[in-house]
Amino acid sequence: MSPTPVLMDCDPGHDDAIALVMAHRSPDIDLVGVTTVCGNATLERTTTNARRILEFIGATETPIAAGCVEPLARPLVLGTADGPSGLDGTPDLPEASMPVHALHAVDFIAQVLQAADGPVTLVPTGPLTNIGLFLLKYPHLKDRIERIVLMGGAFYRRSEYITPTEFNIFCDPEAANIVVNSGIDVTMVGLDVTMHVLVEEPQFAELRKIGTPLGKVVLDWLAFYEKLHRGIMGVGGALHDPLALAVVIDPSLIETRPAHIAIDLTGTHTFGATVADFWNERGEDANVKVATGVDADRFFDLLYELLRG
Amino acid sequence: MNRIILDVDSAGDDILAILFALGRPDIALEGVTSVTGAAGGIEQVTDVVLNTLSLAGRDDVPVAKGAWRPIVGNSKQDMEAPVHFEKRLKDRFGERLKGFNPPAPKPARPAMEGHAVDFIVETVRAAPGEISLVATGPQTNIAMALRCAPDLAEKVRQIVVLGGCFRTPGNITPVSEYNIWADPEAARIVLRSGAPVVLVPLDVCEDNRVAASMLTRDDLNDLATLYPDSAVVRYVCETFPIYIDIWREFFGLVGFPLDDAIAVASVTHPGFFDMSEPLFVDVALHERLVRGQTVAFRGHQILSFDGPRTTRICRNLDGGAFLTLFKGAIGGLA
Repeated sequence: MSPTPVLMDCDPGHDDAIALVMAHRSPDIDLVGVTTVCGNATLERTTTNARRILEFIGATETPIAAGCVEPLARPLVLGTADGPSGLDGTPDLPEASMPVHALHAVDFIAQVLQAADGPVTLVPTGPLTNIGLFLLKYPHLKDRIERIVLMGGAFYRRSEYITPTEFNIFCDPEAANIVVNSGIDVTMVGLDVTMHVLVEEPQFAELRKIGTPLGKVVLDWLAFYEKLHRGIMGVGGALHDPLALAVVIDPSLIETRPAHIAIDLTGTHTFGATVADFWNERGEDANVKVATGVDADRFFDLLYELLRG
Repeated sequence: MNRIILDVDSAGDDILAILFALGRPDIALEGVTSVTGAAGGIEQVTDVVLNTLSLAGRDDVPVAKGAWRPIVGNSKQDMEAPVHFEKRLKDRFGERLKGFNPPAPKPARPAMEGHAVDFIVETVRAAPGEISLVATGPQTNIAMALRCAPDLAEKVRQIVVLGGCFRTPGNITPVSEYNIWADPEAARIVLRSGAPVVLVPLDVCEDNRVAASMLTRDDLNDLATLYPDSAVVRYVCETFPIYIDIWREFFGLVGFPLDDAIAVASVTHPGFFDMSEPLFVDVALHERLVRGQTVAFRGHQILSFDGPRTTRICRNLDGGAFLTLFKGAIGGLA
């Protein structure tokens, strides 16, 4: 089978970084472009980080375009898990030198979709600002999107964040609202599953065995990344974004359930909540597939294989 | 010369605003962009713009198609309310209503290739400090342009927004004006962008306090008598009696209010208006009862709210001077 063309929209971010590495190294994925958005850090920093990562892994042919500097309709809230730079604790990465595409991410996505031979899969791993704005501006290109596999949402499980909301949706619920109601095939890889792919001691042990420069950088990332998880939640680092990317490589890693999702745009403490209707009580057709189960062991096997290979 | 981009949703007064801008020698109409709003979907809105320009013999003016939906919008039921309102009108006006917001015939030319947002961004960037954006529909396009190109806020000469209401009751809810209500998130982006904004609220358009600015049947008779050879005047005199009757009967106004043309006049004739000092103006988002309400920060209050003081609100209008200007501009078109 020919590799799946994928465009990643991300806000690196340590876990975005690992997702980018997996996308670049997987023979099942053709990474046709990377776009950046504010979220884990400012746009300037997420864009710099994405370039440093791509250069380090030798993906300098992959075009990268910068997107929105703030959410569609809310003030910018930056994440805290990745440090102020968005990618703290990685001394071995080169400084960024590869160029940023002249087009805004929204227009770059349109260009990539128009130039592609067939439909492209979008993997957003940050707030959905760029994708929402893209769908506002280019509704006629919707059919050129094969599917969207996004990291976002919390359904059965509550977040540990300051709202019962997952961070990416919390940051820009208005954009998420556009995406889930777009009619595109959307899979939401949310906290229900990503909080089951945790890097604990056995995973660290496997990663240490890899012993390559790339393996070392990934270990550096994870050593920093787990601080917030360990310190506040008492668990290892959750590989949120890599799981979303891995689902494109191997859909059987997760179980999904179709549901109609409403995104709360107005709640005092609940805005950004992804309120799923699994029983069709609202009488609306399902608009997304919600990830409800994950095979964490097989996910990690895939991660090790891609890092080794 | 006032270089203007008109961003319209192609209701009756949008059509008259386009014609008014074309008829003013002190306006260079750089282009017209369309946005989903009062006149329906984006195709209808765009076709009406193209047909209006053709009527005035101005197929040279660029037209770019814009947003097909608001950022968030409102419930389907609320969004369709204006359609149900039209059904109510039908019971009263019968066949005559066919001339009110009719489906647009196929235009003589297509809109340009690019999106309205790109047209706005490129035109403003090419002439920093010179272009006035006049938004007479929901502000979706302007908001998208500001998100795609944040530098727009400092490169635009001003953004004129036909929207909001303060002392005059709203037209979609008691506190909300349609354009703001239709995309309140977009309005908030514009009002908080830092760009200089002139807000033209219902207070200076849809209020009998400014009755002298409204179009009446007497005005149509004047136009027909003074400019018997103008095809544009003929079109206006055929099309707008039903508008005048609707606004008299259902909205209690003395004539058809020319909101969007008034917004255009604020660029060329700011002296016709009493404008406030620059204020911070925000928009209520979260409760259906007040969604789209415009809140201007003036006076003295205990709680403070942060936002840029960049919006001048039109508080009063010399209606007679405006209407004279308007009729002269329309009459001057062939």
